[in-house]
Amino acid sequence: MIVTVTPNPSVDVTYWVDRLKIGKETQEEYLTRATDGDISAGGKGINISIFLARMGLENIAMGFVGGYTGHVVVRALRDEGITTNFVWTGSGETRTNLTVLEHGHEHVPILIDGPGVAVAESEMNRFMRRYRRMLKVADWVVLAGSLPPQVNLAFYYELAELAKQAGAKVAISAGASCLTRCLPAAPNIVKPDVREHLSFEWMKLRTREEIISAGKRIVRGGVEMMIVSHDVIGDIVITPDSIWEISARVQTTQFRNLVGADDALLGGVIYQIYNGAGIEQALRFGLAAGILSAESREKVCGDMGQIEHEMANVSLTRI
Amino acid sequence: MKVSEIMTRDLTSVEKDIPVKELIFILDSAKMSDMPIVDEEGKLIAFISTKDVIKAALPGYFEMLHSASFIPDMNQFANKLGQIADEPVEKHMHSDVICVEVDDDDLQAADLIIRKNLKSLPVVDVERRLVGVVRRIDLLHHLL
Repeated sequence: MIVTVTPNPSVDVTYWVDRLKIGKETQEEYLTRATDGDISAGGKGINISIFLARMGLENIAMGFVGGYTGHVVVRALRDEGITTNFVWTGSGETRTNLTVLEHGHEHVPILIDGPGVAVAESEMNRFMRRYRRMLKVADWVVLAGSLPPQVNLAFYYELAELAKQAGAKVAISAGASCLTRCLPAAPNIVKPDVREHLSFEWMKLRTREEIISAGKRIVRGGVEMMIVSHDVIGDIVITPDSIWEISARVQTTQFRNLVGADDALLGGVIYQIYNGAGIEQALRFGLAAGILSAESREKVCGDMGQIEHEMANVSLTRI
Repeated sequence: MKVSEIMTRDLTSVEKDIPVKELIFILDSAKMSDMPIVDEEGKLIAFISTKDVIKAALPGYFEMLHSASFIPDMNQFANKLGQIADEPVEKHMHSDVICVEVDDDDLQAADLIIRKNLKSLPVVDVERRLVGVVRRIDLLHHLL
């Protein structure tokens, strides 16, 4: 069983616009009408859960939800056939994240993420009890996304440690400040979120050389695989004995919605490894899933046949 | 059809040592009327409903009355609820919990919900781990 943890889920609101008007003066036109829109459950772990469910893999989604928007998230997951096990918080509504995609510039979306709601100590204790129970059935634990306000940055470290002690494998996708603290737990896969900061610990992640240098240091500490998005259509993957550069032969102008594409990539890699595939097959499948997700209106592509077909467009080079 | 095909895949549940006030908060937040109670292994051990909590908070003589009009106001109810708010749910739960297994027939679930007048029915796996619930609306939704 795969258990995903999304501590700070969201309702993702996406608007497609022909031209975004940003006025500086009140006399200017500043109302932009969307040509299309979408509402979905979001957060990195939730996106991965949805991807896995669409691949036919049963999984359990955990985290914290609150208020009306919390119900939107839980309902959306149940409709996907995902088992939900969320702790309800009393301090407010699950956040809303806004994406605006301007026609012709979909590969550079405007993202505004809400902060999320605070988690009380009693709610955190309730979560930990439930999490320990879920570890009795977990083969893999995926810890993904940002943390709610005031939650200790070592939260993922604690969850990763418990998962490893229980014999589960661990994948973490999060921002650098949170991910850095997890490294002593030696998670199996790490994927730094570089959308906000192109760095990891004190290391920059802007160039190919910087990514490889940082990755080598990370895997020396016991991590089995580090995946870093290098540019929109390619990733660099570092393992203890190899370095791969994976890329797809696609035009960025084909992209329709980049949100969730990274999560489909990680979901694809986990799906393949969970089913016993080798690393090269897993990476090809993951990138194909990510590319197809970016090309589709929906955040996460769930068409297995299409993904397998797209794998032919993925090139994988061992450096 | 199997129960697994109609159930709501939700594991919202509590442990027997949590206080009644926490149970009320979870029931309200998750919009549930009943709550499965599980052990540290996730195995179903009991069940508690809002009806059980109301019953525990009513004055002892309430059932002997023909009408609630004999009670002057809601204060007695509120006071009693305040008294039991910190008690563990264990004190008010039912250990003779009615449930079905994932591979049971949906007709069996429907029969139990109707005959026992249940709002929801916990679903367990072969090791008695909670894996979901069948609600009245799940039956209706899948029959249409």
